[in-house]
Amino acid sequence: MAQMWITMGPQHPMTHGLWTLRVKVDGETVVDTEAELGYIHRGVEKIAESRDFTQITPYCDRLCYVSAMTWANSYIYAAEDLLEVEVPERAEYIRLISAECQRLASHLMWLGAYGPDIGSLTLMTWCMRDREMFLDLLQELGGSRMHYNYPRIGGVKRDIPVGFADRLVAKVKLFEKRIEEYEMMLDESTIWLVRLQGVGYANAEDMVNAGVSGPNIRAAGVNYDARWAHPYSVYDQVDWEPAVEKPTSVKGADCYDRYRVRMEEMRQSCRMILDAIEKIPGGKNTNYSNGDEMILAKAPTRAPEGATGFSNYECTRGASKFYIQGGGDGRGKNPYRLSIRSPMFITIPYVAKTMIGYKVADIPAIMGSFDPCIGETDR
Amino acid sequence: MAGQDENYAAFNSRALVEMVGDVTDEALKATKIKQFLSVLAGRYFNWAGRKSLFTLHLGIKCCAIEMAAAATPRFDGDRFGVLFRSSPRQSDVLLVNGPITKKFADKVVRLWEQMPEPKYCIAMGECAISGGPYFQSYNVLEGVDTVIPVDVYIPGCPPRPEALIDGFGLLREKIIRIGAAPSSGRKGEKPIIVGED
Amino acid sequence: MGMRVSNEQSDSAAESCVAILSKRFGGSDVVSTVEHHSNAFKMAFVRIHCPPQHWPAVAKSLRFDHGANYCSMVTGTHFPEGSDDRGWEVVYHLMRQPVVDQKPFTNTVLVASELTGSDIPLEFEILVALPQGDEPSVPSVQSVWVGADWNEKETWDLVGIRFEGHENMHRVLNPHDSPEGFHPLQKQHKLRYHDYNEMYDDAQGFGRKPTDEGRVK
Repeated sequence: MAQMWITMGPQHPMTHGLWTLRVKVDGETVVDTEAELGYIHRGVEKIAESRDFTQITPYCDRLCYVSAMTWANSYIYAAEDLLEVEVPERAEYIRLISAECQRLASHLMWLGAYGPDIGSLTLMTWCMRDREMFLDLLQELGGSRMHYNYPRIGGVKRDIPVGFADRLVAKVKLFEKRIEEYEMMLDESTIWLVRLQGVGYANAEDMVNAGVSGPNIRAAGVNYDARWAHPYSVYDQVDWEPAVEKPTSVKGADCYDRYRVRMEEMRQSCRMILDAIEKIPGGKNTNYSNGDEMILAKAPTRAPEGATGFSNYECTRGASKFYIQGGGDGRGKNPYRLSIRSPMFITIPYVAKTMIGYKVADIPAIMGSFDPCIGETDR
Repeated sequence: MAGQDENYAAFNSRALVEMVGDVTDEALKATKIKQFLSVLAGRYFNWAGRKSLFTLHLGIKCCAIEMAAAATPRFDGDRFGVLFRSSPRQSDVLLVNGPITKKFADKVVRLWEQMPEPKYCIAMGECAISGGPYFQSYNVLEGVDTVIPVDVYIPGCPPRPEALIDGFGLLREKIIRIGAAPSSGRKGEKPIIVGED
Repeated sequence: MGMRVSNEQSDSAAESCVAILSKRFGGSDVVSTVEHHSNAFKMAFVRIHCPPQHWPAVAKSLRFDHGANYCSMVTGTHFPEGSDDRGWEVVYHLMRQPVVDQKPFTNTVLVASELTGSDIPLEFEILVALPQGDEPSVPSVQSVWVGADWNEKETWDLVGIRFEGHENMHRVLNPHDSPEGFHPLQKQHKLRYHDYNEMYDDAQGFGRKPTDEGRVK
C-alpha cells in the first residue's frame, strides 16, 4: 500500500485553531506526523518591548483567548515579582474567583469544541449555553466577554459589584447540577466511550520529560499542580484538591482519562469559588472604589536594569510562565525582554507523535483531548 | 454542420436543443417576457442567496470564539440562514476573524480564489480591519483588505456576537443593492462599517 | 483546605541542591545561589551562572543528580550595549517535579507537607552569558530534555542564537522563507511606526492579489 502525506491544513474544522498537521498515512493508519505552527505569530514578545507594564496586560489577554483571565494573571504575577509588589488579600481572593470562573468557561469551551469532533453536536450547544453564564459573571467584573484587562499590578482594577456574590453562588450551584447532566449523557453513551477509550495513550514519564503539564499529565496519575507546588495567591486557604485520574493502562492515559480530569477540575473549581466567596476579607457585598488600598496596592512603574521577574502559573492548559527582564526603554518603564512560555507550544509537537499507530479517524479525538489553543502557541 | 454531411436529414439531439433554444429565446425577447423573467429570477436568486449565506469554517484567533458563540443557542445565527461549511468551494462568505500574518497571507488569498462567485468577505475584529493591536508587528499585515476586497467591516476587539449578526444583516442589505456583481466590480463601493449610522 | 509546599521545604531543597552543586563545580566559573522570588510567598529557587563550555556537564548533573526532569523555557536575549563577556544571554528555566514512574491504575497521593529531600518541587534558573559578537552559540541540550527541542528552535528563530549539536533546526514561528539571518528579537530591528510616522496599509511585502478578478464562475 502506498504511503502518502496528507495535509490537515490551516483551514480545517478539526484543528481548533490555525496550524497544519501533516500526517503520513499507510492506508488508514498514521505512520508519521509533522506539526507546523506560526500562522498567527504576532510578535508579542517584540511588541512588549515598546509598551509599559500596564499596557502589556491586554496583549496577555489575547495570548490564549479562550482563557484570558488566567494568562493576564500569569503575566501580572511575573510583573509583581519584577517590581516587588505586595498584593492585598482581598485582591488575591478576587483574582482566584475570576481565574476559576475563567477555568470553568475554558473547560466548557473545550468540551463544546470536543463534542463535534467526536460527533455530538448537542454537546456544543449545551456547553456554550453554560459558558454564557460564566461569561456574564466575568463581564460584570471585567467589562467584556472575552478580553477583560482586569488585573493590575498590585491588585485588580475594580471590586466585585454589589449582588455579584449572590449571582455567582446561584450560577455555580446550578452548574454543579449541570456537570452531572453532562456526565450522564456522555458516560453512558457507547459512541463516546468507544471513541475515547483506548485511544491516544500518553505515558507520564515521556510527558514530563517533554514538558507537558496541566490536566494532560494529571490524567496520567501525576499529581502535579503549580497551585500547590509553586504556590501563589490564596489557594492554600480555600478548600480544594487537585484533580488526578488513574491511568487505565501501562501505556499511559487515554483520551477518556483526559476528559475525566477536566470534568473533575470543573467540580473542584466550583468548590473553590463557593469557598472563596464566603471567606473573602472585607465581606462579599461591599464594593470598594477603584484604587482603594483593599484591592490595589501602590506599585512602582519602573524596573531597574538587572531585575528579573518569573511566574509559574497554572493555566487551564498547563503551566504558563513569564520571564521578564527589566531595564528597557524609558529608563526602565518598558521591559527589556519579555519571554512567554506557552504550555501548548511544547505539547503540540508531543501530541503529533502520540498519534502514530492510530487511524486517521482518531486524529480529532486525540488532538482535541489535549485541548490545543493556538493563540498562546504562536504568540 | 460540416461533419454531418452523410446524414443531414436527421438531427442529433444537441442540434435540436440548440435550435429550440434559439427560437424560444427570440420569441421571449420580442415579447419582453425574457426581461420580465430575468428580473424575477434575479430577484429570486438574490433572495435565496442572501437568506442563506454559507460561511467558511475559518477560525483564526479570538474573534473566532465570538463567531462560534454567535452560532450557539443564546445568539443563534442559524435563524438568519448563516451556516458554516468546511470547504471554500461550498461557501459564500469568507469571515476573516483574526490577524493575517505573512505565513497565512498566501493561504487566505488561495481560499478566496477557491470560493465561487458571488462571494463576499467580512472583516471581523480589529486585527482583520487594520492589524489591530499588532499593527506594529513584523509579521502581521495591516488588515485583510490589503490582499482581498472586503465588503463589511465589523469593529470590536472582539465584537459582540450581536455585532456579528448585525454585520450579516448589513451584508444582506448590500446584496439587495448590488446583486451578484463579481467581487472585483465592487471597488467603488463605500465601505460598510457596523455601528456607523 | 488546599495544601501547599511550605517555605521551609523549598528553602531546604534549594540549599541542599546548591551545596551539592558548589561542591561539584565549585572551582570553575559556575556560581550557584539560593534566591527568593519577590512576590506571593517568596519561595526559594536555585540560580546558576554558567559559562557556555561547562553547560552540558551542568545540565546532565541537574538532570540525573538533582532530578530536574522538566525543561520549562529557554529565553535568549541580545545585549548590544552589554559588557564584552555578556553580549548575549540564554536563560534556561528547569523544574524538578517529583512524580515519576507512574504505575497504571494508581495515582500518586501526595501530601505536600510530607514531601522531603528530592521530592520537593524546585525551580532552577540557569543563566549562560555569551560574549559579544555576531555568532553566539551554546551547546544544545536536546538530548537531555525532550522539552528543550522546540524551545531551542524558537530561540534560534527569534533571537539568532545557534545551538551546537541541535538536529533538524528549522524556523518554527517565522515563515520558512524568511531571509537568512533575520532574527526579529535582535535589538537592531525596530518595530514599525516606532517613530510615530504616518500609518499606511502595509502588506509586509506580500504582493499577490487574487487571480480570479473579474471572472464569473
